[in-house]
Amino acid sequence: MPGTDKPLLAHLLRRAGFGATFQELDRYGQIEYEATVDELLHPEQQPTIEEDVLERYYIDWKESRNIEGALTESVYRMNAYAGTRPLQEKIALFWHQVFATGLAKVLHEKTMLNQIDLFRQHGLSNFRDLLLHLAKDPAMIFWLDNNFNHKGTPNENWGRELLELFSMGVGMDGQENYSEEDVRNAARAFTGWTIDDDNVASIPFGKTPWLFRYVPEDHDEDEKTFMGHTGNFNGEDIIDIIVQQRATARFLSRHLYNFFVADEPQVAAWQHTPPGDPEAIKILEEEYFRSGYDIRSMLSVLFNSDFFKSDQARFAKVKSPAEVVVGTLHLLGDFKFPKRGIFEVALGCRYMGQDLLNPPSVEGWHTGEEWIDSGSLVERVNFVADQISNIQQPGVRSMVEKLLKGAGVLDPVGVIDGCLELLGHVRLHDKNKDHLTAQVRTMLEQRSGLVAGGHEDRRAAEKTILHAMKMIGSSREYQFA
Amino acid sequence: MTTELGLPLSLHKQYRYQDVIGLLSAAGPGFSGPVSVITGPDGNLWVANRANPNQPEAVRITRCTKEGDFIEHFGEWGEEPGNFIWVTSIAFSAQGELFLADESTHRITVFDSDNNFIRCFGEHGNGPAEFDRPSGIAFAPDGNLYVVDALNHRVQVLTPNGEFKAQWGSLGDGDGRFNMPWDIAIDSASDVYVTDWRNDRVQKFDSSGKFLMAFGSSGNAEGQFNRPNGISVDSDGDVYVCDWMNDRVQVFDQLGIFKDMLIGHSGMSKWGRTFLDANPEIEGKLELAAQNIEIKERFYRPVSVHVDSECKVFVADCYRHRVQIYQKI
Repeated sequence: MPGTDKPLLAHLLRRAGFGATFQELDRYGQIEYEATVDELLHPEQQPTIEEDVLERYYIDWKESRNIEGALTESVYRMNAYAGTRPLQEKIALFWHQVFATGLAKVLHEKTMLNQIDLFRQHGLSNFRDLLLHLAKDPAMIFWLDNNFNHKGTPNENWGRELLELFSMGVGMDGQENYSEEDVRNAARAFTGWTIDDDNVASIPFGKTPWLFRYVPEDHDEDEKTFMGHTGNFNGEDIIDIIVQQRATARFLSRHLYNFFVADEPQVAAWQHTPPGDPEAIKILEEEYFRSGYDIRSMLSVLFNSDFFKSDQARFAKVKSPAEVVVGTLHLLGDFKFPKRGIFEVALGCRYMGQDLLNPPSVEGWHTGEEWIDSGSLVERVNFVADQISNIQQPGVRSMVEKLLKGAGVLDPVGVIDGCLELLGHVRLHDKNKDHLTAQVRTMLEQRSGLVAGGHEDRRAAEKTILHAMKMIGSSREYQFA
Repeated sequence: MTTELGLPLSLHKQYRYQDVIGLLSAAGPGFSGPVSVITGPDGNLWVANRANPNQPEAVRITRCTKEGDFIEHFGEWGEEPGNFIWVTSIAFSAQGELFLADESTHRITVFDSDNNFIRCFGEHGNGPAEFDRPSGIAFAPDGNLYVVDALNHRVQVLTPNGEFKAQWGSLGDGDGRFNMPWDIAIDSASDVYVTDWRNDRVQKFDSSGKFLMAFGSSGNAEGQFNRPNGISVDSDGDVYVCDWMNDRVQVFDQLGIFKDMLIGHSGMSKWGRTFLDANPEIEGKLELAAQNIEIKERFYRPVSVHVDSECKVFVADCYRHRVQIYQKI
């Protein structure tokens, strides 16, 4: 039967999205795996959320006057789209991590959110087009000082990070990918690429969006040599040369692999540390050139590959705080319609170490096991445990009802297996599973002969299931995607 | 188009831009997301500020003169009686009590003329005198309070003490049905106008809820709406509608025929002037910002419109934290 491998579908949805409810897995289970991948890769074909309703109730969001409001809006949107356009949100999160731009400097929340929208709209498109949009993005221009990059007095910040952190990387296979001269000339090519307005210019009546502006008289028209090419280059020419480089194919492939397949070493080590799976990276590099730098094509190859589907790849990545928060909210079915309280929930990302829209530096967040320390781990466990045991949440109620539907006498193994499946086909280590099963057995024995029939029995059964779900949500394994 | 004095005119020259009051501020002279503007018994402007969930101190009622002189602000964010969280609208009773709708606590809160809390009524639900996100409120000439009960898609009529008297409406798009209605206005003949938000129209009823007429459809042409919300009726019977997502205010006659359109012509306010005088470096940057000049003058999500006895039109220009004022000519 097509697509019936639900554990594989759950794996796909954890990586290409924020996890899936059992109802969503039932739906995807009706179509071929490849068709599911294709649907995820085309979020534009799925419905949008109701922006008018969002704006009516979160009346301050249109302008997002402070950093917490912007963070809240980001989390709300990721959750709202988690069931319909999950990859749109996941790819936006990916590029936010790679092209890390932060409100600590930008100080204009709507402009930062516009950058995330850029990633939503173009994050799956052609890498050349994406870089060009990025180069004109007001938040990025301000973040890396390109508004101070003038003819005759170039500021190299953007030119350097474009090469080092956004496209090629410092080096690969032990070699350097570009020279200091390339950095200087890249910067010269982007002189005159600036913004209008700035972060304080409209404070009497609130802020207005920053806009990209090209100032031709401030552009350096002299000849430049970049990566072996010579000409009177403008910024667009630099990007054209960048995307042709093998280093760019490698850099983008490693980033995609690191985010969607398995944790790689931190980016700074890539010059001297080969990929964990060189064959997988080679396949992605080839697709990069074959498709003409198309990100959607690369991801199609990735999600359909054996290295992605393999058993080894499953639960091999530590969830980011955004994945923990949004994945849990989506599972619960919470905040699918505007209501008060999203602000407090969204701050969970910050407390777990990922202050969305405000990364620690232009390098973004350190990922993988570096997400975890004693403080953030406690935040993660408490967040999930608090949310997942609330029977008032529609998603929790539907999971409990699904488990109780048609149940006769509850057995401990059935409860644990059922909860693991409904929570996204979570896989527990045998020892932990035995431990939880024993706990459930003890609870059931205290209500000997429990049958989910009468009111009291049903309440006790619900309580047992909720406890099991809470314990699974508190497990080490739940922290992995 | 401007007058001889250089003041801009509305699309069909029936209104003259006069002034602006405002400044983004969480306290004192200024507004933070103004969502409701009315004239009080004292002849001054009373403005409800919605603000941010993470800036609760900015949720307040501001009182100022119509010339833009700050008088006071009051109110406290919270769920306790007398507090409010998601304020949607305010209205004065004939006795001079201030009524405030809060769509977070699903209740109406009443203050006396000295801003002291008197009582509140309503709770979350869909029964009589219960609410699911109350939004617009208005008093009829007979003293009854009309409340738009948005997510119950109905209008409820209550006494000023909150006792249920009548209701009409349910979810739908036929005559007398609503889809998340927002605001309400009552004219001198006691006829009731409701902005039927998600149906992009205005419906008119008699005081008992009998459907009389509707006007508007989805779009951005004259007479069309993109999520209408604030509504008011002047002493001539002309109807003013905030055409929210089209960022404009449209004026209609009693038959719903389009008459004119306001788009916003804001200059610098008195409070803004004071702020810039104290921060000259910001004024310098404002002057350098060349691309955004026009959008800074225009309405940005106007939420509430109010017309006083002198036919001055006050528009709560929500995302610009100001009230723009026009004079009917």
